Amino acid sequence: MRDALCASEPGIGLAIQMIVLCLVALSAWLVLRVGRISLGQQAYFGIGGYCTALLTTVGQWPLDIALLAATLGGAIAAALMSWPLLRLPGLHYAVASLAVAELFRLSLSGWQYQVPGPSGTPVGPDGVHGFRDIRWLFDHQISQFDYLMWASAVLIAVVLALVALSRTRLGLAMKMVGHDETLAASQGLPVHRLRLLATALAGAVAAFAGGLYAHQLTYIEPALFDPMLGIHAVGYSMLGGLATPLGPLLGAALDLGLLEATRWFEGWRMVLFGTLVAVFLRWRPRGLLDETLVCRLRSAWQSRHHTVSTAMADQS
Amino acid sequence: MDFLQRTLDGLLEAGPYALVGLGLTLGFGLLHRVNLAYGASAMLGAYAGSWLHVRLDWPVWAVLPCVVLATALAGLYVQWLCFPDTDRATGSVQRASSVVSGADSREVVALASSFAVWMQLEQLCVNLLPRHLNPFPDIASTHEWSLGPLGLRPDRLVMCIAAAGLVMWVARWIHTNRTGLALRAAADHPLAAHLSGLRVPQLQRWGFVLASGLSGVAACAVLALEGQVTPMFGMWMLMKGLAAAMIGGLGNLRGLLWSAALLGVAEAHAQALFGPLGRDAATWGLLLLALLLRSARKTSWAPAGGLHA
Amino acid sequence: MLEIRELACAYGKIEALRNVSLSAKAGEVTCLLGPNGAGKTTLMMTLAGILQPTHGSITFEGESLLGLSPAQIVDRGLALVPENRLVFPALSVRENLMAGAYRRKDRAAIASDIEHQLERFPRLRERIDQLAGTLSGGEQQMLALARALMSRPRLLLMDEPSVGLAPKVVAEIFGIVRQLHAEGTSIFLVEQNVHMALKVAQHFFLLQQGRVTFSGTPTELAEDDVIQRAYLAGAERKPEATEA
Repeated sequence: MRDALCASEPGIGLAIQMIVLCLVALSAWLVLRVGRISLGQQAYFGIGGYCTALLTTVGQWPLDIALLAATLGGAIAAALMSWPLLRLPGLHYAVASLAVAELFRLSLSGWQYQVPGPSGTPVGPDGVHGFRDIRWLFDHQISQFDYLMWASAVLIAVVLALVALSRTRLGLAMKMVGHDETLAASQGLPVHRLRLLATALAGAVAAFAGGLYAHQLTYIEPALFDPMLGIHAVGYSMLGGLATPLGPLLGAALDLGLLEATRWFEGWRMVLFGTLVAVFLRWRPRGLLDETLVCRLRSAWQSRHHTVSTAMADQS
Repeated sequence: MDFLQRTLDGLLEAGPYALVGLGLTLGFGLLHRVNLAYGASAMLGAYAGSWLHVRLDWPVWAVLPCVVLATALAGLYVQWLCFPDTDRATGSVQRASSVVSGADSREVVALASSFAVWMQLEQLCVNLLPRHLNPFPDIASTHEWSLGPLGLRPDRLVMCIAAAGLVMWVARWIHTNRTGLALRAAADHPLAAHLSGLRVPQLQRWGFVLASGLSGVAACAVLALEGQVTPMFGMWMLMKGLAAAMIGGLGNLRGLLWSAALLGVAEAHAQALFGPLGRDAATWGLLLLALLLRSARKTSWAPAGGLHA
Repeated sequence: MLEIRELACAYGKIEALRNVSLSAKAGEVTCLLGPNGAGKTTLMMTLAGILQPTHGSITFEGESLLGLSPAQIVDRGLALVPENRLVFPALSVRENLMAGAYRRKDRAAIASDIEHQLERFPRLRERIDQLAGTLSGGEQQMLALARALMSRPRLLLMDEPSVGLAPKVVAEIFGIVRQLHAEGTSIFLVEQNVHMALKVAQHFFLLQQGRVTFSGTPTELAEDDVIQRAYLAGAERKPEATEA
């Protein structure tokens, strides 16, 4: 992912990359919300990418159905993996998630399954070289611009869904688990099940991002989902703020913004981004958009609304 | 016979792996934090050594201490930026609200900070020396002894014994020496340590720098037999360090040696069966297994038990 | 020996101590009484250097203690035996004692002091190599006290030494307080158990909601109406209740 980010194409390619990164960041954010830090979301990114690619190239499925299937696959894989892992204390969970992700990456590096493709050349996962010739978008003449519009719509839908979720009782329960699991358990909340649900959702979002990216890039290889991807995802969430789904988006925007701004400092992006994250975490542990700021913004908005409506009421 | 040879080769890795795990487990025992920038700091030291060796043509005996020093300095930086508040004395006295901050937020933040520094240091290294293969002072010899049907490289044997000896010496030192006692006391209960007159912040800082320095020694031990360092080294140190440290139990210094031996042997056999991918898979697989088997059914962030042997 | 003037200490916006003035004389046992939440532990933690006051002064033997680190305060000759008997759970009894003497450099004297403490607390001798976390509450209290004494303090601060302990153990602890006083150690004691405190202390202060509301001798304490009703009421209250 490092190379892919540095070698970003201007304009539309960059925008799609940004959406992909936002989705992976949201995936890490979901797990952070329930009080666990996952260094392994990149695994589901990889699974999603390979799954979607297999379905569209070998199975010749349409992209949207393939993505749906891969998303479901990601959710199931995440649930299966997390079920034993979530019983571990937080620190062990973080390291275990990294171990699982690396094991996935190594297995995919060793997987070779080549079949003759539609144009005659062999397609399929090719070990370390990854999965090449994922040409569904080109074969079906979907322009980059259309793809971008569609991907943006999905991202907005996901964010709205997450915002809606946080207003339900389920969302509140998850937030409680994230803040203090002992307290939540003593209130009778099923902590393990709630965490499992959150990690399944996180896996789904990451898998979708993987499928999206694989088709834009036309290939996907194990080197793309190395630990740095997962770490960036967590970094975006922690920098941007854990209070709302907009936090990880902010974090991702900051990073890609830095990338663009420091084109002449080529190769120093991670040094700068790392500094930003570490410095911010020292003085603002909950990120930029933390709970106190969101609260303040919300009450400022509400009071302005109130004064506007009372002013209008007074006038009439 | 192949089986025995591979087992022997694996056992010879026990010393170096234990040394690699030592810095990480010591750092955890002292500050109750896992330092994800561990590998990257050692890599910075190693790259500094490579630069000195290639550009200034310094000999082995001058380069290696510089590697240790550079790694220790990197550790100082990490402690200053990522783990400044492990002095829990005032925290336990002040009434902190857990509603806003979340029960384990400080540990999460420290972990996140440390991987931010990992990013920083790794890219810094790659910018310093952009090539993939960077020469490192080489003290390996191609000499090989034969023990009947088995082959044994004396340089690896000496390194294994030296590394294992250092690990055991540190484990003993921390339990018998007065400064070791102070470090353990400060780690065990910072508030009680303050009240006993121990200078807790300084003990924690310099203890962590010591752990970092030891990781520099580990880097030397490994790289001096390889003769080169690559950009993969940071991740490699972290991976092996985490495995060696956590299989034996974080903070458990004497457990390091047997867990490193187990790791070495498992890897050697996995590599023979599945190639280099198998080797790494064995590392992660063993680590995962150890974590699952050790899982205390507690809801606390980190496992209990500080520095012990 | 110890002079505290107009001391104020706050946790953020919560004022735990407001305008506290009291003093402890050398060679005496001074006792600070007060209900829960009065600020007693805050005061002790401020004296030990763990908390920094927002206002006021603390002078010990003529020198100010403000702004000093906890280690420096131990160097000056104050040692605190904290509430909830903080010991080093993963260290052995011997190591706990050695940690208490950390600031001292005189090895031989430290060794003889350890012997001295073990004579004073024979139960600790039995458990000398046991991990402190496995000791009972009373034994931990003794260990915490012994550890504080290892630094040879000129003023010993004790924060509620009797809390959570069986009456027999409490009597033992206070017997040792009396012993220490007889040996010449000055003690500043925080207690809720007024009956035991009356037996050892020469001067009393009462802390209520962050302010000192009483200062006097044991006789004055026993005679003062307010305190009697609050703390010593036992025989007093019951007849009143049945009469009404």
